[in-house]
Amino acid sequence: MKTLRIIFLLSLLAPGLVRAKVDLVTLPKRDKVQLTIYNSADLTLVRDNRSLTMRNGINRLEFSWANTLIDPTSLEIMPKAQSDRLTVESLDYPPRTKNLGIWSIRSDVGDEVPMEITYLTSGLSWRAFYMGTLSPDEQKMRLQGYVRVNNNSGEDYENAQVRLIVGKVNIIDQIAELASRSYPYGRPQPPYRFEGRAAGGLYKAKNAFIAMDMEFAEAAPMMAPAPKEIAKEGLSEYFLYTIEGTETIPDKWSKRLPSFEADDIPVVNLYKYEEERYGNQVIHFLSYKNDKEHNLGDTPIPGGMLKVFRALTDKAQEDTPALSYAGESSFMYIPVGQDIELNLGAVENITVEAKLMDYKTDDYLFNHKGNITGWNETLTYQVEVKNTRGIPVKVEIKRNFDARRWEIDNQGDCGTYEKVDADTVKYTLEMPAASTRVFSYTIDIPRGQRED
Amino acid sequence: MKTRYRWTALMVPALLLWSSTAQARIKLVALPEREAISIRLDNPAATLIEEERVLTLQAGVNSVDFSWNGVSIDIDSIRLTPLDHPGEVTLLNVSYPPNEAALVWELSSTAAREERVRISYLLRDIDRLITYTLTANKEETELAMNSYLVLRNFSGEDFTDAAIMLDYGDTFRQSVGNEGTRQMLFFTKDGLALKKVWEFDASALPWDPEQLDENVGIPVRYEIANTAANKLGADALWAGKVRVFQEDGHGGTIFLGEDNIPVVPVGDEMKVYIGDSRDIVVTQRKMKEERANIRRNKKGEVVLYDTDEVIRAELENFKDTPAALTVIQHIRGQWDMDECNMPYTRKDAGTLEFEITLPPNGKKELVMQYHRRNIR
Repeated sequence: MKTLRIIFLLSLLAPGLVRAKVDLVTLPKRDKVQLTIYNSADLTLVRDNRSLTMRNGINRLEFSWANTLIDPTSLEIMPKAQSDRLTVESLDYPPRTKNLGIWSIRSDVGDEVPMEITYLTSGLSWRAFYMGTLSPDEQKMRLQGYVRVNNNSGEDYENAQVRLIVGKVNIIDQIAELASRSYPYGRPQPPYRFEGRAAGGLYKAKNAFIAMDMEFAEAAPMMAPAPKEIAKEGLSEYFLYTIEGTETIPDKWSKRLPSFEADDIPVVNLYKYEEERYGNQVIHFLSYKNDKEHNLGDTPIPGGMLKVFRALTDKAQEDTPALSYAGESSFMYIPVGQDIELNLGAVENITVEAKLMDYKTDDYLFNHKGNITGWNETLTYQVEVKNTRGIPVKVEIKRNFDARRWEIDNQGDCGTYEKVDADTVKYTLEMPAASTRVFSYTIDIPRGQRED
Repeated sequence: MKTRYRWTALMVPALLLWSSTAQARIKLVALPEREAISIRLDNPAATLIEEERVLTLQAGVNSVDFSWNGVSIDIDSIRLTPLDHPGEVTLLNVSYPPNEAALVWELSSTAAREERVRISYLLRDIDRLITYTLTANKEETELAMNSYLVLRNFSGEDFTDAAIMLDYGDTFRQSVGNEGTRQMLFFTKDGLALKKVWEFDASALPWDPEQLDENVGIPVRYEIANTAANKLGADALWAGKVRVFQEDGHGGTIFLGEDNIPVVPVGDEMKVYIGDSRDIVVTQRKMKEERANIRRNKKGEVVLYDTDEVIRAELENFKDTPAALTVIQHIRGQWDMDECNMPYTRKDAGTLEFEITLPPNGKKELVMQYHRRNIR
């Protein structure tokens, strides 16, 4: 479906309500098109290059976009050459005509001029997703990143340069809403009032296009002799991925492209226990860092879903080992240098049990009526940690106290102890394969007037 | 009885002119064409239309009938100004016929003459929006500003070759039909200095991003001073929607974000919130909150106490460039700072502002220890 239409009109009439007879001069073809697709909002910047044959005087260029999701308020045209001899005088959205804009361009040139039309459209989207393959001992992981681009914009984009933006842009109006208005800028709304910042602050991207799932077969990107490279660079607070060469993405299609691959990433199997957050279960996290030491760190990693597999045999033994599926986890955007923790869900092969072993109160305070107004509470907990796996693991245990003041006394091998905040402590234990560790802590908490 | 002749064109304010003598002998003099029209949009609340017509007046009293149909004119706003002989052509009175969108001017002229008059009125359903396109350079040190005037005409009237003007910027001679919208570039400046600011407000953003399932972005904004030193400063910048782009170093741009801005008076800064940085991470925790200095009444009830509090904020920059982070902290009630490891300014009784430069790929820690007085 081809719905964008540019008609180049010759009009030697003065700019006016000239909507009557005009001469069709050319229907210029698109020379080059570039798509910059955002993932935090339903938004794509399209840069459309065409050569127009200008004449001296006022040139009128009609641009129509029926059945697309283009935001008409974002339309701009810019000469890419001889810009000092061309002036874009106005962009007219004629009355009672939808999806049509007419540029008036004053030209001192009677020649072919490359022009660039830019606009924002809704309907194109992309997302990142990942596949991780753990070594049999789960100490290393191979990480493969992919991006999937969906086109539901109503427009076929042939041989387009595709660029993807990672980052959170501030959006006031949704492009899809702007595209569906009867009048590009709406109607005057008396009484006039300044429309403030959008309520609620940030626009949250709507996954309107996720439902469509007409993925190209794996063969599509593989038809090229080698997988395409993706150039990555930071711009402002965002990251720009530019896919090598051009892509053709017809309307209603989507396309999967490999984005990066890193091998032998050292990973830590981290198991977390925090009753207030996870209940009485141990959660398995896979942790590594987006830096050079982990064979990563060139760019931030866009958030997405990671499916984790485990190779059943070593690479040295077999090139294509059988796999077992370990689980999946979605993660957030990871800046360069930041730790990554992937929540792979609850496990039963690592256990943590925190038992209250002793409870007592003393040091009472009484008021003049003889009632108790203050006392001390002493609780002793025993924590037993079991690693039943055949590999070493790291276990992180957090304990929260409902008290403003407390004193703690740790007994036994409790690993690394850390006070996290006013009412939370953390124990980090390195557990060898198939091992058990027991430690205790006693906490003194003043209650009532003893708190003071 | 006085007879009036009147001509009303559909949807067009029309003028009819005749002279009347004291004996009510009425004679049609002319049906003057509109000679020039301007649409003045400097007041965002109402649009002023001014048109000039040449009236052929006779000596004595002349009646001019002005009527409109299909448009909505604020009747109390209509003014008539003689331009050629203001002392000799005098408006005597204005009368309003019942149940009609019309009025009749009585003009006295000292002689028979052609007089150019200006008719001004406020017209409804025609207004303008201002939009901005800012394009920053790749280094984000300066930007180019394009400001567009968008005329929305839903007044019922077609305007042909009208002068369209704001209070500053270019004047346009354009036509715009009823229900038409026209966008015009009215102001452009490049090389404007740009300041980029990151801001963490402890009352607006979550303290512990680790606990959340989505990234906490630190809001980033561009600030552009509306001052003569920054090539602006001649006029207040109108309120409107701003779209920000940045040069990508490959001959194109990327879209950085958009915001609505209020009017920016001269001397102020245009502040445009473009988006969120996820490469700056602030993790803030309360490390201590304990009561001290407790006073009780005779019943043993607490009437006065201090709370000793410690706030620790870890400020991490994952970018390979330094970042100027503004941290805003809030302390309620009566308080005294016991110890703070970074300088701050008090913005009001309960608001502290820190200007902190974070090194590339580095972090800093802000620790505040203060006590608050509590009265019960």
